[in-house]
Amino acid sequence: MSFRRVLAVFAGILPASLVAVIVFLAVYSWPAVRFNGVGFVTSSTWNLGNTYGSPILRDGVQVLPGAHYGILFLVAGTLLSTLLALVIAVPVGVGAAIFLAEAVPGQLRLWLSFLVELLAAVPSVVFGLWGYAVLIPLLGHTIFPIMQRLLGFVPFLGGPTGSGYGLLTAGIVLSLMIVPLIAATLRDAILAEPMVVRESAAALGATKFETVWKVVLPGVRKILIGVTILATGRALGETMAVLMVSGNALNYLPPNIYSPISTMAAFIVSQLDSALQDPTGLAVRSLAEVALMLSVISVGVNTLARLVLYRAGLKDARV
Amino acid sequence: MTPKIAIHGLDFYYGANHALKSITLDFPERQVSALIGPSGCGKSTLLRCLNRMYDLYPGQHATGEVMMDGMNVIGPGVDVDLLRSRVGMVFQKPTPFPMSIRENIAFGVRLHERPSRAEMEERVEWSLTRAALWDEVKDRLHTPATGLSGGQQQRLCIARTIAVRPEVILFDEPTSALDPISTLKVEELIDELKRDFTIAMVTHNMQQAARVADQVAFFYLGEMVEVASATTMFTAPREKRTQDYITGRFG
Amino acid sequence: MSGAALTGEEAPFPQREAARLGRMRRRRMQSLLGWGLCALGFGLLAFAMGWILLLVLLRGISALTPKVFLEVTQGTGGGLLNAIEGTLLIGAGSMLLAVPLGVAAGMYAAQFKHSWFASAIRFMADVLVGVPSIVLGYFGYITMVEGLGWQFSLAAACITIAILCLPYICRTTELALSQVPAAMQEAAFALGAGEGRVAWRIALPVAMPGILTGVLLAFAISVGETAPLIYTAGWSSYLWNGQLVRSPVGYLTYAIWAFINEPFASANALAYAAALLVTLIVLLISIAARLVLLRRQGAR
Ligand SMILES: Nc1ncnc2c1ncn2[C@@H]1O[C@H](COP(=O)(O)OP(=O)(O)OP(=O)(O)O)[C@@H](O)[C@H]1O
Ligand SMILES: [Mg+2]
Repeated sequence: MSFRRVLAVFAGILPASLVAVIVFLAVYSWPAVRFNGVGFVTSSTWNLGNTYGSPILRDGVQVLPGAHYGILFLVAGTLLSTLLALVIAVPVGVGAAIFLAEAVPGQLRLWLSFLVELLAAVPSVVFGLWGYAVLIPLLGHTIFPIMQRLLGFVPFLGGPTGSGYGLLTAGIVLSLMIVPLIAATLRDAILAEPMVVRESAAALGATKFETVWKVVLPGVRKILIGVTILATGRALGETMAVLMVSGNALNYLPPNIYSPISTMAAFIVSQLDSALQDPTGLAVRSLAEVALMLSVISVGVNTLARLVLYRAGLKDARV
Repeated sequence: MTPKIAIHGLDFYYGANHALKSITLDFPERQVSALIGPSGCGKSTLLRCLNRMYDLYPGQHATGEVMMDGMNVIGPGVDVDLLRSRVGMVFQKPTPFPMSIRENIAFGVRLHERPSRAEMEERVEWSLTRAALWDEVKDRLHTPATGLSGGQQQRLCIARTIAVRPEVILFDEPTSALDPISTLKVEELIDELKRDFTIAMVTHNMQQAARVADQVAFFYLGEMVEVASATTMFTAPREKRTQDYITGRFG
Repeated sequence: MSGAALTGEEAPFPQREAARLGRMRRRRMQSLLGWGLCALGFGLLAFAMGWILLLVLLRGISALTPKVFLEVTQGTGGGLLNAIEGTLLIGAGSMLLAVPLGVAAGMYAAQFKHSWFASAIRFMADVLVGVPSIVLGYFGYITMVEGLGWQFSLAAACITIAILCLPYICRTTELALSQVPAAMQEAAFALGAGEGRVAWRIALPVAMPGILTGVLLAFAISVGETAPLIYTAGWSSYLWNGQLVRSPVGYLTYAIWAFINEPFASANALAYAAALLVTLIVLLISIAARLVLLRRQGAR
């Protein structure tokens, strides 16, 4: 065989494993997909049924009496926490990128950028640890009550503030985890914008900030959009940190921003033990359906992000 | 007549590189002054002193006098951003901003004024008309400026510059990236614009200098060798170096 | 409108300048505010980073006794020797799988960069990076732990983590190879060397520092991962017994997650000790990789 063929065989493992992940999850969860139907995403009840009852046959699937699987509350928790993370991370990331690219001179920039790089390298579970040990007491005891008193009239900011585990806490931790990606990518994009564009704006009498904000930033907006979508994908699938700070709510939609939630990714970890109690295996397969949904969503989001970034000329976006 | 800009004893340094040496030169009001000379002689550097563009780069500095309406442009305490609203600049390569044609023009205007919507429309039309571009773009003002041809983009850059209503406009080889037809249009434009603006233009094209300039200054190795009216310069230059250059013996 | 309505007549010069000056002051304030907000953005980031590091360092160092390195976990106390060993085993094992496959993928993408298969590899790698690690973990669980009956095991953990690391190694390899001067390879082709020979003998050695950096970073990722291991590696308080399947392994990130929630001080101390070790390994590798990259950029 030619060198190219041999290489292709080894190289093919990478694409093959992505396909395998999705195919296996789809095949494995198929009975659950059939049993759960559309109710899977429109109802908020995750109920294994009577684990002591004897299984009955429904829709050609063995199920426990009373079993019902609906994950609307997970979809809501996932989307809301991601949304909050973006609302925080995009402005902070843009600000940090501008600061690093335009406000600090060369050598100092290297060092400060390094800090961002490091934050990106901190493992998820360490963010979770910090959230658990520092953020939750601080938010739960001090910040949330103050927020509620001052801003309680705003929808979703009133009501009971709980213990600190919940939607906003998850959003804050998630935002810290995605902000380095946004800041670093955008910083590089800003630095790559040609000097003559800045000179042109300055030649019209624009201050340096006006130049950056109104001319350089619009020039990299496609990259900003692409990396924001990329960050969205990260936030949607983030597991450990969310698991440790979200409060792992079951079967209800968050009434306000302080309320405990759970996300699809975190739920897979928190529920496998109990799902194994189902002798029919349907609970484990329904969890596989959650994983399948999550992987399809993330493949979609990442495909979109890459298309935007490729078109913006960023072929080797940081991975 | 007092000149619009009077340079006296100007020295310029790129770090330790002494790029302009004791330049003394006047720019008469509402005339076109062309700067010519071989590559690297300091023409662009001189232009960038007039609007303090060098301020964007640490390590570059100028000493001497560049008097404009009684103010030393390169002296301390000058509001550089305001100065640049009075001294516009058009670059060698067209640099449309990443926004619509209309926004390209509105951007500069909005920096310095708060025009009403109607005033802004008027200003956009006026500046595009003066830049001989209005008829070509009036139906697509809201499309991205990057969709224009190179020649159109350069005229847009000129329109954008005059929309701010400066007193002086600096052109750094404005036609060197353009095709002959676009070049001709820009030349006609410059000739037209000198009714209202004082113009300084760098060019490598002797015919161009002869066609549009009233006054021509010849630079060599960071020094100003000779300045004269265009007619004198191209028919009876005083210096041998000038003659060699304009007859194409070097450069 | 006539061209005459220009600099002079329409608005007398001194008045216009006065108006522009007033506006300039306001614009300067706005710009200052803008810079302030940007600095605040960076400040928040740096502050959070500092806080996290401080927490891990302070609590971790006071929890880091010799026992941590010398003893295995006993209930909620003891040491972390089993977890340290497990983390290194999983890291090494997954690299053993991921490095050849990832380098091959990256090499294909770089050497045959215009083929459709190369584009497919690049694109799939970029998408695979975005697949949540828990999804890979669950895949490992249903296929290997359950399907093949391996139960919680080193093999299931290593294969899962290897899939996770493949795209990183692939992309960094491709990047490193694509920076090898084309002229260097063409010269070898001109001497009659085949594709394989050029790739192995010329391109690979030149690109080696870049590839190694990518492998190091992938190793750091394997050290920091938790979610995909929970249902593939399981947890064990004992040292590895040499079995690839049917025997769970411990790892540091599990200790962080599981022991911080225990109501015992000894357990919490282990969690912080584990967090310190994981953070140190990951950050030191990142710093090293970054320095290598900087050095090479500086050299060019
Ligand atoms: N950023 C810089 N740093 C250091 N030296 C510079 C820089 N820019 C220009 N120079 C030097 O200053 C001198 C004058 O340069 P300048 O750009 O003014 O020449 P020019 O007459 O405009 O040439 P050209 O016709 O090629 O545009 C040259 O010797 C050049 O090498
Ligand atoms: Mg020049």
